[in-house]
Amino acid sequence: MAQAQDTNTGAPTLGPRPGERLKAVLQTRTALAIVIALFFVLLVVAGVAQGATAGRLLSLFVWGIMLGGVIGLGGIGLTLVYGVLKFPNFSHGALTTLGAYIAFSAVSYLPKSEPIGPFSFGWELVAGLAIAMPLVGLVSIGVDRVMYRRLRFQGSSLVLFAMASLAMAFFLRSVIYLIWGSDFRFYYEGRSNPALDLPLGLRVQADQIFILLLAFGLVMAVYLLLEKTKMGKAMRATANNPELAQVRGINTEKVIAYTWMMSGALAAAGGVMYGLASQLRPEMGFWLLLPMFAAVIMGSIGNPRGALVGAIVIGVAQQVSTAAINPAYGPGVAFFLMVLTLLVRPQGLFGEGS
Amino acid sequence: MALLTVESVTCGYGDMQVLTDVSIAVESGEIVSIIGPNGAGKSTLMKAVFGQLHPWSGSIAFDGREISRKEPYEIVETGMCYVPQVANVFTELTVDENLDMGAFVLPDRDLSRRKQKIFELFPRLAERRRQKAGKMSGGERQMVAMGSALMLDPKMILLDEPSAGLAPKMVDLIFDRILTINATGLAIMMVEQNAKQSLQMSHRGYVMANGENRVEGTGKELLDDPDVARLYLGG
Repeated sequence: MAQAQDTNTGAPTLGPRPGERLKAVLQTRTALAIVIALFFVLLVVAGVAQGATAGRLLSLFVWGIMLGGVIGLGGIGLTLVYGVLKFPNFSHGALTTLGAYIAFSAVSYLPKSEPIGPFSFGWELVAGLAIAMPLVGLVSIGVDRVMYRRLRFQGSSLVLFAMASLAMAFFLRSVIYLIWGSDFRFYYEGRSNPALDLPLGLRVQADQIFILLLAFGLVMAVYLLLEKTKMGKAMRATANNPELAQVRGINTEKVIAYTWMMSGALAAAGGVMYGLASQLRPEMGFWLLLPMFAAVIMGSIGNPRGALVGAIVIGVAQQVSTAAINPAYGPGVAFFLMVLTLLVRPQGLFGEGS
Repeated sequence: MALLTVESVTCGYGDMQVLTDVSIAVESGEIVSIIGPNGAGKSTLMKAVFGQLHPWSGSIAFDGREISRKEPYEIVETGMCYVPQVANVFTELTVDENLDMGAFVLPDRDLSRRKQKIFELFPRLAERRRQKAGKMSGGERQMVAMGSALMLDPKMILLDEPSAGLAPKMVDLIFDRILTINATGLAIMMVEQNAKQSLQMSHRGYVMANGENRVEGTGKELLDDPDVARLYLGG
């Protein structure tokens, strides 16, 4: 102990101290990537030790990408709202649930069509999705009008915004309990959707493939919107420098409304997909909120592409972990990855500087 | 009637009053410099003109319209653009995208023709179109900022310290471009620390101190005024 202290005081005073230098190395993007990769190796080894076959691990991997797509749709919305409005929206999970239930109502009222191709659902679910997405977007804009906009015009602090969104999360969840009750629901009770046997021992349901493709399509649409359209560029400009955006003629309130519409619609799509893959519960969005935040933090807050990468990492980790541990620990795995990211590199995989 | 008329404007931030009874005018096609020591209220005046602050009393008219209650994004549509002193580019956007945002209020169709005009003025930007503005030098950023403001083909442009923090060679280039822009008939109102150089190229100037406008005159009159020289031009 005494010796270690001696060498420390004897170190040259020029440049960063050895400890600082080590810290800098440990906080690089590569270091975080390695830590995450190691965690995956650990999960796979644990899975194999529990007797999981290669086919099962591969299936879990694919399901993980699907779950990652669902988390990613929520995460992209969360990160966009953070980018433009600069507050973490804790009610984002409730928007996911709301979307799932609105589609549920649509499915129960609309006339049922025959299942489409190999899928378990008919056109009424597609219609439900098309109704839920804009409707949840409008609800988000409405919430902004009555609450966040008022706070914005008063120049309220971040804490107040965060607390308000938490309150809104509980409010929306109560509304969902009131309208739809606390029972588990299925879009199609008792309709089976057997897994398809694919090469390499891969077993995936047709519905899961649909979810994966839909998530991919929506992510592409978001990407094109942000990169190619005027409103998308205005959203990025507003996130980057709101004051200058106004000076350049951008009505930032309009940009904020578009942001809510987009983020609400994506959350709704994520909710419908999650409901289709498992079942509908009033607190389903609440349990998705943690993985969403973990994905957003891992992919650097405010970066939509990063949120997607983070979501896929977290989705896969959650699914692969079920080969070794009880699936109920899924959110725990997401939480663990979030803590790892915050410890190693708080600014995430795509953040600048240190 | 002048293009821009600021009449007895009193204004400030929160409870703190910064401007007292300020009146200035800019005729079309004119270069007008606002000079004065730090804290004189020059930047505050710019913000008030551009709707980032609303006057407590007094009026601001541009091109025959009252604009003192308008928001910045509405003022842009009247044909006035503003280049702030700091944070005047979107650092996360490319040069191209920055210019696109300059023409946000316009339909997309004549974008490339307008961009071509900006690239003629600042050829450097044409070479760097796909680069993020945040990765550029101070001088290049100033070009992006001025270029974005010019995308709308405005009647008047407000420049807040266009030469601040730039290397002498770049300062000369920026001032030269300001004259070029003005020669096309655009009115310019600028705030400058570099008072001598900016008065030399200005048609008229105003000297501000303690939130009031004290002296006004042609650029030459102000340069020759012994009081102005002693107090604000460093002897």
